[in-house]
Amino acid sequence: MDRHLKKVYVPMTETAFYILLCLKKPNHGYGIVQTVEKMTDGEVRLAPGTMYGSLSKMEKDGLIQFIKEEDKRKIYQITNLGSEILQIELKRIERLYRNSQEEL
Amino acid sequence: METKKAFKLFTIFQYKEEQDYLRKMHQSGWKFIKVSKLSVYHFEKCIPEDVIYQLDYNRDGIKNIDEYVKMFNDCGWEYLQCYTGYSYFRKSAAEATGTEEIFCDNDSRLQMWVRVLKRRLSLLAILLLCLYVPLCIIVSLLINSLALGTCMAAVILGIVFLFYVITFIWFVI
Repeated sequence: MDRHLKKVYVPMTETAFYILLCLKKPNHGYGIVQTVEKMTDGEVRLAPGTMYGSLSKMEKDGLIQFIKEEDKRKIYQITNLGSEILQIELKRIERLYRNSQEEL
Repeated sequence: METKKAFKLFTIFQYKEEQDYLRKMHQSGWKFIKVSKLSVYHFEKCIPEDVIYQLDYNRDGIKNIDEYVKMFNDCGWEYLQCYTGYSYFRKSAAEATGTEEIFCDNDSRLQMWVRVLKRRLSLLAILLLCLYVPLCIIVSLLINSLALGTCMAAVILGIVFLFYVITFIWFVI
């Protein structure tokens, strides 16, 4: 994997993490906003400026791919590269959690 | 409908001040209509209301304006216009949750800032190059062929300097 990409995306922002997680299934930006709001009981509300910027950047970097357009909404899905990066980030978070459990 | 115009300059470092300005105007009963050439802000009289104004800088978004605006509309933001690369959005504070903004993390705020600077710096580099070469030629020609005194050379250099100052001011506005 591209070392530069790994450096850019790991550790990941909460926004980037939820985008990749939600795009295991095809979805559009606003769909992700709604899904994340439900998942987190309204605590994480992704904003459109952040969402638009992240989606275009991730598409350029090849982490997600454009599938189709529906009613002016672009639908994306995660790529293999995106899944790989998400796995690396998940391992990092699991380690954080494990270590905190041992220490606290 | 009563309207008014106001000339107001904001540098590229002051987009927050611009957002605050538009919000304050709306709170005092002047609803923002548009900003036109040379930084003239147009307002129309309205019932005072607390409305959050936000600026985004995303040229990709402007190129795909339909889906860009759709994403903001879906999230409850009204799209107003784009002006020199900036897109203007607003949302009533009553509908917003807390201090809602169009960015939800510092990473994306910084990314917007990077897009602004990248664009401005590349334009500035092109402009300076375009100015620099012809000005050098003119200055050397004048000094050599006309055997001008140091006073004249100083004036010409002064003009060159003025050009650079103007370019710089244009860069930050």
